[in-house]
Amino acid sequence: MAEQEKRTEEKVYRQLRTNSLLQQIMFRYMLEGHAASENGRLAWITSGFPVEIPVAMGVGVNYPEQYGAVIGSQKVGPQICGFAEEMGYSQELCSYARSSIGAARYPEKSPLEGLPKPQALLACNNICGTVLRWYDAISEMTGAPVFLFDTPPTQGKQTPHHREYVRQSVMRLIDFLSTTFHTTFSEERLREVGNLSGKGIDLWTRCLKACRNRPSPLNCADRFLAMAPIVSLRGTELAVEFYQALLEEVEGRVAQGLGAIRDEKIRLLWDDIPPWFTIFRFFNGLAARGVVFPADTYTHAWSGSLSGADLVDSVVSVYSNVYLNKGLEAKVDKMCELIKEYSLDGFIMFSVRSCKRYSLGQLVSKELVMERTGVPGVVIEGDMVDSRLFNDAQIQTRIDALLEMFI
Amino acid sequence: MSYEQATIQSNSQGFRLGVAEKLTLGYIYPHAPVEIIMAHGFVPSLVRARPGVVGAFEASLQTFACSYTRNLFSQRANDQLPPLAALLFPGNTCDSLLNVGDIWRVRFPDDTVFRLTYPAANQGEAGVHFLAEEIRSLSNMLEKAFGLPFSLSEFEEAASLTRQFRESIQFLYASRAILPQVLPYSKLAALIHTFLMSPDQKSVTEVVRAASQAQRSLAKSKSLEPINRIRQQLLKGHLTRLTFAHDTDSPRIAVAGGMIDPGALVALLSAAGISENALVIDLLTFGFKTAFTRPCDMEGDPFESVARSILSSPLEPTQEGLEMRLSFVRDILTNLAIDGLVICEQSFCDPDEFEAPSLEAAASKSGVVVLRLPIDPELSDRERLGVRLQSFLETIKSRNQR
Ligand code: SF4
Ligand code: SF4
Repeated sequence: MAEQEKRTEEKVYRQLRTNSLLQQIMFRYMLEGHAASENGRLAWITSGFPVEIPVAMGVGVNYPEQYGAVIGSQKVGPQICGFAEEMGYSQELCSYARSSIGAARYPEKSPLEGLPKPQALLACNNICGTVLRWYDAISEMTGAPVFLFDTPPTQGKQTPHHREYVRQSVMRLIDFLSTTFHTTFSEERLREVGNLSGKGIDLWTRCLKACRNRPSPLNCADRFLAMAPIVSLRGTELAVEFYQALLEEVEGRVAQGLGAIRDEKIRLLWDDIPPWFTIFRFFNGLAARGVVFPADTYTHAWSGSLSGADLVDSVVSVYSNVYLNKGLEAKVDKMCELIKEYSLDGFIMFSVRSCKRYSLGQLVSKELVMERTGVPGVVIEGDMVDSRLFNDAQIQTRIDALLEMFI
Repeated sequence: MSYEQATIQSNSQGFRLGVAEKLTLGYIYPHAPVEIIMAHGFVPSLVRARPGVVGAFEASLQTFACSYTRNLFSQRANDQLPPLAALLFPGNTCDSLLNVGDIWRVRFPDDTVFRLTYPAANQGEAGVHFLAEEIRSLSNMLEKAFGLPFSLSEFEEAASLTRQFRESIQFLYASRAILPQVLPYSKLAALIHTFLMSPDQKSVTEVVRAASQAQRSLAKSKSLEPINRIRQQLLKGHLTRLTFAHDTDSPRIAVAGGMIDPGALVALLSAAGISENALVIDLLTFGFKTAFTRPCDMEGDPFESVARSILSSPLEPTQEGLEMRLSFVRDILTNLAIDGLVICEQSFCDPDEFEAPSLEAAASKSGVVVLRLPIDPELSDRERLGVRLQSFLETIKSRNQR
């Protein structure tokens, strides 16, 4: 056994071989972003945006939310968020937004020298209302126009007038991209991109579902890293290639009975975005105590794919029905479903101070989920990028109290 | 019945009925379809945050819920809300209110809670159609829940009331923009407050009377013509260069922000010993933005006409178009000879806190000094805020003397 593999063997968790492929793919994504920007064809885009449309129209895309995760992982969140705070943005605002604004102000002081300059900013409010205001701020700094793809929050079944309104948004988007980037829309090309996107999502979903096995082949940190292409390369061959490789590895682990962590004892659900600045320390610390997270609500957010005779209608349906856009009830349902399907013993809800849409209401959902599933849960509070808002000792005490219930 | 006088009648078994005879439907976001609500025989009444509420939200809301929603929730948890038959939450206006609406339903399952969702994009007719259908479905729900059908004659009556209210209040706003001494700001705020709390003939008559008085007192001055011009331009959302006589000795400030209670501003000014005449115009949700909504058209489909009226409100309720909003604010600052802009920010309010730096930059570029004021319904930092306002006014005065 090679020395490196031996060292990995000794660790409480197993590294994924596909991580190196992931790095290569993400590096390519970064280079493509720079090239698109230089050619005047780059849009910054939110994670819930119908990316298939700009991709089908030949527009390059970069995801500032993902860049926020990079800033968090490199542990420079407080410094980069601080740049935005110096500009007058409150520390109470979303730290993805703050770090992105801060990095746009001082790219030279930011990881990877900031994101390449955008020529348009595409925001979809199916994840939150913050994205529009964040992109407005970036627009003031870069001069790139903002387009809002408005998907008003739904209650229950999507109504015909909601569908019609969002349909008009699609039309408006096509017009906007055609004018801004001097490009044209072809349904045929959208179908191709939609197929690739569907394939990627399907492979990713199979990787996630493999975690129903005991031991779970993936832990939280694995999924949070591996989700990068589903967020930023949806609709491309690269994403399909990556998820094929990942699925192969995951299925291999399942076949051999190998878990993501060495000694799986407790299976928990993770809710919300992770604390990027301590992602390995945090989840591996728990892995050492036999805690694995076979499922989480965040990486399960990408599920629908474009299909059917009316592709525009499919865009309307998939992107309006993201569960964050459906409110508390849908989120509670999702959590209960995951707890049941993945045979989980309990759950941890990370109350991200930055993110009201995702986090506000967790005190209530915790009670509802406990009531419905009978498993215990805990809410811990912090932030995903801004480590100043993360009180490690307090969080550990809460988690200890939860884990004691399983002994 | 005014907000403060309202008898505390709600309880943990759900909302109770409102004032005698009519049911009260409480709403939180002022761009509510009041004419439609009234056409169902309800009294639409704005439910506002208010000072002196003991926090009772901790078991349901995290501390990063905005101070406004925390206050509302605490009022409900403490049984301090005025009597309501139902409560209307907005959707797609901000994340805090959207989530709190959901939490409310879980925590107070006996309350009748509705949601009206607004378009956030400036999507023209598609937005009007969407909102019209949302309002229509609210109307159906009201009928289903309370057995009170929509009445066209009551709608027409309500539309005529709101028209009278808006015309008069707009005149008063425009008058104060030139001659703030024509009406104390506290009086203007109280008139709006009373109407939003209980839009009836009595509250409208008060506003109409105040506008007529102002008109009479201005008749001899040469101000009526520019006042009417300003009113029209404010309605259109675009001001052009205006020349009007005003007192150059006293500072002229504008106040911007979202769901800040004009009454809280009055309290701050008075605690700081600052004349209300200094406050020339507010650009707040419960003030200017509600007042300058265009009246709804009596012709055609009532739902569409109310939707069109709501969407005509300046600076709200759609969220897209920061540049348009800033350009309107710049217009106001430069053409109404404003010396200083106070930007109020409700704590943990994304819309306020995101927009404040842009507003600050726009004002500074127009040569207007800026004060950013974090504010919450409890006015917990009243003294310090007062001192900051005083020194802000001093800065303006010394600038003007130079
Ligand atoms: S507020 Fe939440 S959902 Fe919105 S961008 Fe920030 S982290 Fe994402
Ligand atoms: S104060 Fe701000 S965050 Fe709170 S309800 Fe109003 S707009 Fe929303």
